Amino acid sequence: MSEHGNWPEWVYIGVVVALLVWVGAEAWNIERLVEEVPEDAQVIKVTGQQWFWSFEHEDGTKEIGELHLVKGKAYKFEVTSKDVIHSFNIHDYIVLMDAVPGRINIVWFAPDEVGEFEIQCREYCGLIHYNMRAKLYVEEAI
Amino acid sequence: MRNTIGLLLVLTVLFIIPTLEYAFGQEEPGKYLNRRVEIWNLFFRLMVVAFTIGAVVSGTLVWLCIRFRESNPKAKPTKYEESGAW
Repeated sequence: MSEHGNWPEWVYIGVVVALLVWVGAEAWNIERLVEEVPEDAQVIKVTGQQWFWSFEHEDGTKEIGELHLVKGKAYKFEVTSKDVIHSFNIHDYIVLMDAVPGRINIVWFAPDEVGEFEIQCREYCGLIHYNMRAKLYVEEAI
Repeated sequence: MRNTIGLLLVLTVLFIIPTLEYAFGQEEPGKYLNRRVEIWNLFFRLMVVAFTIGAVVSGTLVWLCIRFRESNPKAKPTKYEESGAW
């Protein structure tokens, strides 16, 4: 034991630990930044149920199967479900949050492009899961 | 020696993590941060790390296999093999 050193192993362990710490810190930091909801974000209640999405704006306006938002504004989604677990996903904006009965989960985003985008269910929720879609319309601010 | 290195390692981990968190904590989320950009950037950064480590580790293994194969002209028996004592 005394005749050979094992410093390469210690260097290896040190490098691995340092990299893991760095990767963890980066991910932690981005998650922290992304989860910080702006104070002026408009609240939209999102409800998933077999097999469609319904939305309720702050002013009480309700939409089913489509959602109209304005470019450049922040929106805070309060996501829940009426029956089984769904997952609210706007793929193009990397918005993804589980819709769980009895729970309100929060996710936010600010659309920066005008256009039509797919909203879909990202958690298998039964027979017509594949078609549990809605349309997101991002419109120019008037 | 081993205990010292172990202790240093533990201390490093214990102190480096809070320091990093503190350093990153200074960065405030900008108004209307673009999550698409942030998340994809994170993904690309981590992929760069992953591929770099993959290249270094697999490169080391390939070098090890070539350098220490028995048929390598530079290969010589270890002192254990030489003395026959194991």
